Formats: sequence, structure tokens, C-alpha cells
Amino acid sequence: MGNIMSASCAPECTELKKTYDDCFNTWYSEKFLKGKSIENECAKQWYAYSECLKTALVKQGIQPALDEARKEAPFETGGIIQESESK
Amino acid sequence: MKLFTNTCTFDYKWEDVTAANWKKYPNDVSTHVIAVDVLKRELVNNGTKLITERLITCQQNVPGWIMRLLNCKNISYVREVSTVDLVQRELTLRSCNLTYSDYMKVYEVVKYTPHPNHTNEITVFEQEAKITAFGRISKLCSKLEDWSVQRYNDNAKKGKIGFDSVLKIFKEQLEDSKRQVDGLVKVVDDLQYSDILSANSSVFKKEFENLKNSSNN
Repeated sequence: MGNIMSASCAPECTELKKTYDDCFNTWYSEKFLKGKSIENECAKQWYAYSECLKTALVKQGIQPALDEARKEAPFETGGIIQESESK
Repeated sequence: MKLFTNTCTFDYKWEDVTAANWKKYPNDVSTHVIAVDVLKRELVNNGTKLITERLITCQQNVPGWIMRLLNCKNISYVREVSTVDLVQRELTLRSCNLTYSDYMKVYEVVKYTPHPNHTNEITVFEQEAKITAFGRISKLCSKLEDWSVQRYNDNAKKGKIGFDSVLKIFKEQLEDSKRQVDGLVKVVDDLQYSDILSANSSVFKKEFENLKNSSNN
């Protein structure tokens, strides 16, 4: 199986996702984990993939539920639910 | 509300586990995950903390009575926010279902940390899921929650086997590429001391001199 990577929920974005994932995984192991990076790299690959995905999320009707979840558990707080979270 | 908790260990060091986490799906065991998308990703705290938001697409084999009850298709979405903290050496994944959240909400928190006594060999996995079903008929809610906890129990074993298989492949690839790099270093070392290279380099030197002379003329 080797280098299999997960698909995108939008088939038209899968290739762009794989290109981004390849770049990210190398950056993650070679730079981030070694504390050698202060920049989230792979910007070019990321832009292409995320533009594709943005359109797909709206088309597939996922966006409203996503917005709701972001309000409840913001990205900025690492997804911790705003009211309370028991350990 | 029903609670499910689970703890297990993986025989790999924390850094490797976090790297393999991005490659967890697809695997042969957790076949219900059919797609994983990255929605947002930010590097904070001077490059020591990575926050990632992902969308997990699942295709579930849900029993007919639940399908009819919820009037649902079998594709569902989960949003996950993960934090890799290099200083604390902690990977935390928090997730919640986006689909059917009017009927049921599952909040899950998963933590990967180095084993306190084997910090560079073993990683501890801790999982906690809070399951709440909403509805007028409390008996039915309770049944749905019980079924979900049971489902978690079944999947927990599968999840461990699935991730173990990913880690094994990941480690093999890592060692393979290390061997390749070591091999290349060896080849270069050998080349440096080989007569062929020094012979070649004198040829290059001669060519270079010729080129320089001709351009001067």
C-alpha cells in the first residue's frame, strides 16, 4: 500500500489535495518536528487545494454546519467547546 | 448523556505517531473513513504549535432502524481540530459530528502523549467520547446512546489495529529512506576516494582550463 493518501470529499480536489499533502508531510517531518520552521510552508499547493475545496463545501451543503461548529468550538482555541469541557 | 473512555499504547515514539497521524486514513481496517480534508492550518507560538482543522467524511453501516428513525443517507461529516504542541509533547484531537447533530452529538477528545517511563519508545493514547441523543422519547434516546457506546467499543479495537498497521508502514518507509540516504552517503564516500572520480576531475580540470584559455584568446 505504501504512499496511499486519503481522498478529498470532492473528487475534483483529490489531486490538488495529494500534492499539498505530499509537501506538508515532508515539511512536518523534516522541519516542523525538528523545530526548524517558523513558517507554515507549502503555501502555493495549499492555495490551489483550499480554493477548490471552498467551492465544493458550499456546493455539497456542508458550509452551514461547519460555520455552526466553528462558533461552538473555535479553531483559535484548538477546538475547545466554548461553554465548558470536562477532562 | 453516555460516556465512553479508552486508553491504549503504541510502541512508537511520539514524534513518529504524530507524523503518522496525518496518514492514518485510508487504512485497511477503518474503511468507514472515505475522505479527509484540511480546512485550515496555522503555525503559532514561534513554530512550536500547529493547529489543524479537518473534515472527515464517513460512510457508515448504520442499522436500518436508525436510518429510518433519522431519515438519513449513510454519508456523514465530522469536524476535527487538532493541536500538535512540541513544547508539551502533546497531540490533541477534538472532534464533533456535523451531520445529524439535531439528533445526536458526539464530542470526542483524543490525546497522544509520550509514555512517562518510556518517553522515546511508547506513546499513550487516551480517548473520551461524550454521546448525547436528543428527542422527545427518552427511552429511544437512551437506546441510541447505548448503541453508540457499543459502536465505540467495537471501533476502538479496530481503530488500534488500523493505526498500528499505518505506523508499521510509516516506520518501514522511514527506515527505508534512511537506508537509502545512508547508502547514498556511502556511495559518495566511496566515490570521493575512487580513482575514477579523481581521474574524471583531472579531465574536468583540463577541460575547464581549455575553456578558460579559449575564452581569453
